[in-house]
Amino acid sequence: MLNRKKLTLLGLLVILALLFAACGGDAEPTEAPVGEEPVDEEPVVEEEPTEEMMEEEEPPAEEEPAGEEEPAGEGEEITLRVLAGNVGQELALTQAAAERYMEANPNVTVEVVDTPDFVQDRLGVYLQLFEAQSPEGDVFQIDVIWPGDLAEHFVDLNEYGAAEVAGDHFDAIIENNTVDGALVGIPWFTDAGLLYYRTDLLEKYGFDAPPATWTELEEMAATIQEGEREEGNQDFWGFVWQGNAYEGLTCDALEWVSSNGGGTIVSPDGVITINNEAAIEIVDQAAGWVDTISPPGVTGYGEEDARAVWQAGNAAFMRNWPYAYSLGQAEDSAIVDMFDVSPLPAGEGGSPAATLGGWQLAVSRYSEHPEQAADLALFMASAEEQKIRAIEGSFNPTIESLYQDEEVLAAAPFFGSLFDVFTNAVARPSTVTAPQYNETSTLFFNAVHSVLIGDMDAEAAFAGLELDLEDLLGFETGAP
Amino acid sequence: MTKTPSAWIGRILFWLAIVLIAVYLLFPFYWAINSSLKTESQLQMTPGTYVPRSPGTGDVAPTLQNYGAVFRNDRFLTGLKNSAIVAVSTTAISLMVGAFAAFALGKLRFRGKQPSLYLILSMTMFPQVAVLTGLYAVIRTLSIPAIPSMILSYMLFTLPFTTWVMTSFFEGLPNELMQSAQVDGATPFQTFYMILLPLTLPALVTTGLLAFINAWNEYLFALTFTTIEPDARTVPVAIALFTGEVSFQEPFGEIMAAAIVVTIPLLFLVLIFQQKIVAGLTAGAVKG
Amino acid sequence: MSAESVPINHEQEPASPKRRGISDLAKREERLAYVLLIPTLIILFVIAFYPLGSVFYNSLSDRRFASGQESHFIGLANYSNLLSLKIVELQPEVDDTGQVVVDPDTGEIDYPPAVSVLPREPRRYRELAQFGLLGNRYVIGATDPEFVRAIYDTVAFTVITVALETVLGLGIALVVNSKFKGRGMMRVVMLVPWAIPTAVSSRMWEWMFKDTRAGFFNILFQDLGLSNGQIPFLVDQAWQLPAMIAIDVWKTTPFMALLLLAGLQLIPSDLYEAADVDGAGKLRQFWSVTLPLLRPTLAVALVFRTLDAIRVFDLFQIVLQQKRYSMASFAYYRLIDGQLMGYSSAASVVIFVIIFVFAILYIRMLGVRND
Repeated sequence: MLNRKKLTLLGLLVILALLFAACGGDAEPTEAPVGEEPVDEEPVVEEEPTEEMMEEEEPPAEEEPAGEEEPAGEGEEITLRVLAGNVGQELALTQAAAERYMEANPNVTVEVVDTPDFVQDRLGVYLQLFEAQSPEGDVFQIDVIWPGDLAEHFVDLNEYGAAEVAGDHFDAIIENNTVDGALVGIPWFTDAGLLYYRTDLLEKYGFDAPPATWTELEEMAATIQEGEREEGNQDFWGFVWQGNAYEGLTCDALEWVSSNGGGTIVSPDGVITINNEAAIEIVDQAAGWVDTISPPGVTGYGEEDARAVWQAGNAAFMRNWPYAYSLGQAEDSAIVDMFDVSPLPAGEGGSPAATLGGWQLAVSRYSEHPEQAADLALFMASAEEQKIRAIEGSFNPTIESLYQDEEVLAAAPFFGSLFDVFTNAVARPSTVTAPQYNETSTLFFNAVHSVLIGDMDAEAAFAGLELDLEDLLGFETGAP
Repeated sequence: MTKTPSAWIGRILFWLAIVLIAVYLLFPFYWAINSSLKTESQLQMTPGTYVPRSPGTGDVAPTLQNYGAVFRNDRFLTGLKNSAIVAVSTTAISLMVGAFAAFALGKLRFRGKQPSLYLILSMTMFPQVAVLTGLYAVIRTLSIPAIPSMILSYMLFTLPFTTWVMTSFFEGLPNELMQSAQVDGATPFQTFYMILLPLTLPALVTTGLLAFINAWNEYLFALTFTTIEPDARTVPVAIALFTGEVSFQEPFGEIMAAAIVVTIPLLFLVLIFQQKIVAGLTAGAVKG
Repeated sequence: MSAESVPINHEQEPASPKRRGISDLAKREERLAYVLLIPTLIILFVIAFYPLGSVFYNSLSDRRFASGQESHFIGLANYSNLLSLKIVELQPEVDDTGQVVVDPDTGEIDYPPAVSVLPREPRRYRELAQFGLLGNRYVIGATDPEFVRAIYDTVAFTVITVALETVLGLGIALVVNSKFKGRGMMRVVMLVPWAIPTAVSSRMWEWMFKDTRAGFFNILFQDLGLSNGQIPFLVDQAWQLPAMIAIDVWKTTPFMALLLLAGLQLIPSDLYEAADVDGAGKLRQFWSVTLPLLRPTLAVALVFRTLDAIRVFDLFQIVLQQKRYSMASFAYYRLIDGQLMGYSSAASVVIFVIIFVFAILYIRMLGVRND
């Protein structure tokens, strides 16, 4: 009896041990490619500006007169890692661009590493690499709100030849990406908030144009919602948007406030402006939408939650980014050819505002080949590459001239009509509040969220917010 | 074989309890299966349906497109392999090393027993977020590749767990067992692997299983350690990196399909494992 | 050599002093114990020493995450910023004549906003809650109301989930431990919730709790006539914690059940036979045999469940995001969004301390580990 048990037991232990050994063996090969990368001890790395990049306050330009000469030495094998978005088509386009770059630069291997699409996870991953001052990432795809907060980890692209092309891009984005005179990221593609509306329903209820003001939107939404509900769709809502306590609410609320003449939370010259009548008025108005023209759950909505309601045909209006356009036109969507987009409404007497979104390419200061990496980033953000992305993936270019390009307009017709929205997009105050933008934004969306869920009115919320921002940023307060 | 009415009622209540438990545990899983068979527009439909139905006609219309997408995803398949390697190694090491420690803590007498137990437990009392940065620094300093570094770092939560659980199991065994073995001339260590281990084996299997699944499902460490080694990504990371066609879009149906695909083989393994090993050994152990 | 009779340390029951030779054996036993412990301690030391040390160290500094900015030792300032509370009396609003202002609609006394009475220097106190006592009105101010709320929420979450899981888990374990056809299958069923990665199961439940009738619970509640199918479970503050508890209980009851089942299997069956002979009923057997013998396993299961519940992270981060924090998700957002490494570390140390208190409580209460 005992013997059998003992045997079984021993057998089990042996199996476990073997498994472990096998895994150990298995781990070796995975190890190998890492070793091959010029990360640690590979001797090929012989560029001058290698030593202690992180301690240098001055960018490596000191040693190498900026830009002009061919970035990499002859025949030097280099691997560059691009940390980019992982979304199906987006990733494929990035990989294709990398292929083209490798063809032109045979000595360079470009690895595209996908990172989480969920922005906070992506930021977390980047921060871990920066904390470790890791040379393992060379080019980073960064959100439009990160240049300020992350500036210290990136090289000044102006020193690597970006100065010549910067003028082609939208000024607002270049300005956003410039921190203390250094161009931290080269714009790659842009995004801006849009109003989606149901053309069929507008027609049905006798409206001939999308709303120009928030109050008009309120009235139209209420009318359509009432009508549709009477006809039996109890799930119908007038207006869906992003009301969860997260960065998306900062975007939405900034659009309300700015379009009502209430400023941009913190002005570009460093004045806290949020506690003003216009801002208070519009946020109180928005709080009135919850559970009237918008679902009670809207204060938990992100982009996808809003789209789920919209695309099921259960909303008359939606505020969202341009991505929802192509999905709404997808084959199995309930609203194919029944909607259009327009600029967002404005407050009474204000002018429409769309929050600036989008992504930039930045080069890590800890990269072992900043020169080559910058060259790659500039290549990927060049007019030719942006054109390919615009045609194949409807990514909104950051280069003005592409909005007149016939091929681009043929592939994405709404670029033309929305040109103004993109050029006039309002940037979040991410550069002026750096490196505390994320905290600023968190305080702001928490304040707005507490108004939306009815915890307090906007007057009290913004009075408190003003105090918090003063403590955090040490800025003066003033009128927008 | 006559049964009193109260015995009948007892049996009925017993089976009712079983059915209730099964429904409670399985219904959300069923809902996941249901969701995995729906297209995006079926998922968005109001009201949602208990089986996939076509939005227009209301006919039952399941789709396998989500499963297709999951199996076409290379990362997911390598993820399965990586997860298996990481979880098996972590479990094996934690069980072996933990069993030694647990024997000492549960059955031997020595100075510093209480402090050791609390010391081991305290290692696992911090939230993962807090230790992540320090751990990453250690791993980079020692330049450990992603897979071994996951195995090593998962010990942080599996090893204290296996040690503590096994300590309590060993303590529960009567001391007479050891005494009689010693009368036979066995050394303490022989007593350990000839008597204690076989007796507690079913419990060890359970402990291992719980530790295994813990390691299998870990996300935060894996995400960070495999950032620049995409080939080493584990299943939870691979699933988290599933995306739609365009940015923002969340492919909920595919995520659910992936969840089903990773869970079902695991359950089969458990089914086979527990029938072949646990049942046999339990019978043996009880008699022994 | 009996383990029982080896006198080693002072807390042991006085052993019968026999021959000197025994202490030799005792030494050998002790040495063996150390040898067996060493691998565990080495592994844990290698992976945990630096990370844990740096958490404590950083918690005393104003270090920013991923930043070259110089950090300073600031003593316990992070802790006092996290945890400071102050109770201030709120005086009713008075008009020019010194009369208390009463709201004409509700007939209630008007109070000024709490901001006006809470101190701002040297640290700003924010309103956490208000309460009335003996006709006076008080404001509780906190320097970080979010964290204080997170502590409260997390502890409430922990106590309720662990209690429910223990009862349910024990019930399931008892049922599955009895012999019936399909027992093997049942054990597999038991494992299902635990086997799904938390990152995925949280998304799954999030979808079930959707605020429209695309979500299961809204369909169900409407079909039962309880609502109009538009309950925003994850937004409505009254529903948030119950929803989280429901998810966690479903997800981790199997952990409890399996562990307790393993404990049940170790109880020798002859004890039950003996109890049968004594004529003890099933219930008596449960109280006098099962429960006492299960106590060590129960203690361990409770310790580890509590530990996981207090550290709960994925669930809150995925489902509630920044609407409401658990302590660990608070630490996460402060670290990633705020890059406040020192502050976030201090929050983690608070979690550590709370877990430690719970662990010791259980072990004392259940009377294990005091030999």
